[in-house]
Amino acid sequence: MIASLLPSISPGTLLAGGVTATAASLWMLLPRGRSGRAERSSRWLGGLLGLAALAAFIALGRRLGSVGEDTIFLVVALVAVVSGAATVVSRSPVYAAIWFAMALAGVSGVLLVLGGQFLGVATIVVYAGAILVMFLFVLMLAQPAGLAPYDRVSNEPLLAAVAGAVLLGILSLSIGRLAADPASCCAVPATKAALLATDPGAGPNGPGTVDLLAADHVARLGGELFGRHLLAVEVAGVLLLVALVGSIAIVSRGAADDEATDSRRATP
Amino acid sequence: MNVVTPAPLVVDGLLVGAILFALGLVGLLARRNLIVMFLCAELMLQGISLSLVAWSRHHGDWGGHVLVIFVLTVAACEAAVALVFVLQAFARTGRLDSAAWQSLREANLPRIVDRELPATDAVPPRFPRLTPAGVAPATDEDALLEREQV
Repeated sequence: MIASLLPSISPGTLLAGGVTATAASLWMLLPRGRSGRAERSSRWLGGLLGLAALAAFIALGRRLGSVGEDTIFLVVALVAVVSGAATVVSRSPVYAAIWFAMALAGVSGVLLVLGGQFLGVATIVVYAGAILVMFLFVLMLAQPAGLAPYDRVSNEPLLAAVAGAVLLGILSLSIGRLAADPASCCAVPATKAALLATDPGAGPNGPGTVDLLAADHVARLGGELFGRHLLAVEVAGVLLLVALVGSIAIVSRGAADDEATDSRRATP
Repeated sequence: MNVVTPAPLVVDGLLVGAILFALGLVGLLARRNLIVMFLCAELMLQGISLSLVAWSRHHGDWGGHVLVIFVLTVAACEAAVALVFVLQAFARTGRLDSAAWQSLREANLPRIVDRELPATDAVPPRFPRLTPAGVAPATDEDALLEREQV
């Protein structure tokens, strides 16, 4: 394991190194409109730096949590992260969409490991099955042949990469603080704790919790969804209907506008 | 006070979620293709979903799972409306370029001017060639007059 090669480095150094490597790697990987040879060497270097950043974050996750102990989690998380990075830096939008499908597969694997059985399946069915196919339809309708010039350049690649890496650093820092000092995040208020202490149906995480890994997971989730959150489900249904009607309205409105311009052009 | 230390797996899930969110943010800021920008926004949503499910596991609660279901719903609505907008934008400008709509930018921002891009690849693809060997077979004159396929 790469992570075990770095036992003596402190988590702060790992985080700083990982953030720097992430920023540099993303900057090199993002399309910057350069000639073929410069682009290829930049992508190689960016890929190597990305591997270094991944190793730093795996080592960091090993310090904070348990990354690397569960091989399945490590594999699906790597699939998700690497395909996510490839989605961001792919020149061709079709490749980006297909890498995004791969990232979805990884994310659904992570969801399964985390105990979201229904969500893991729903992510594949709804995202990869419906939303991504819709993206691909639009791409096939609208994508010109070959690489468009706007796919070969980026808006401020350096600033964007640095902003993303700094955000990642701050998030990792606060996640590390959660792991080191749970009182800062995870304290249950005294009143609720008193209520929970009297709760008869205790899950594995103590009183007041439910067993997310129970065999009838989907049935319990459905009960929660259609019991406590019934109103929200109704609102979500209305939202779907509004989105449907709205998109049809936008399409037909655009068509009517085009006809109006055409007839105005035709009249004189 | 009832303090529960986050399980290691919860911390792992949060870390992966943070990485996906940051990657999506970089793409949303940097890329110019409208569809790739939407894909990156969806990637950010995936990172959020992972964090929500991790917290749900930590608290032993269905809240995160229910929220992720609503995230999926809203993502479907968003994709429908946004793709219609993208198609309309494409019909008007003929490009999927976000800079085609830069007249909507803030007044104090400079205009994005595209420079001339160098050629992507100077080397044309090279295919293997077989060396000719043996003798040319005798051609059948009648067969040449026949149709290749019925």
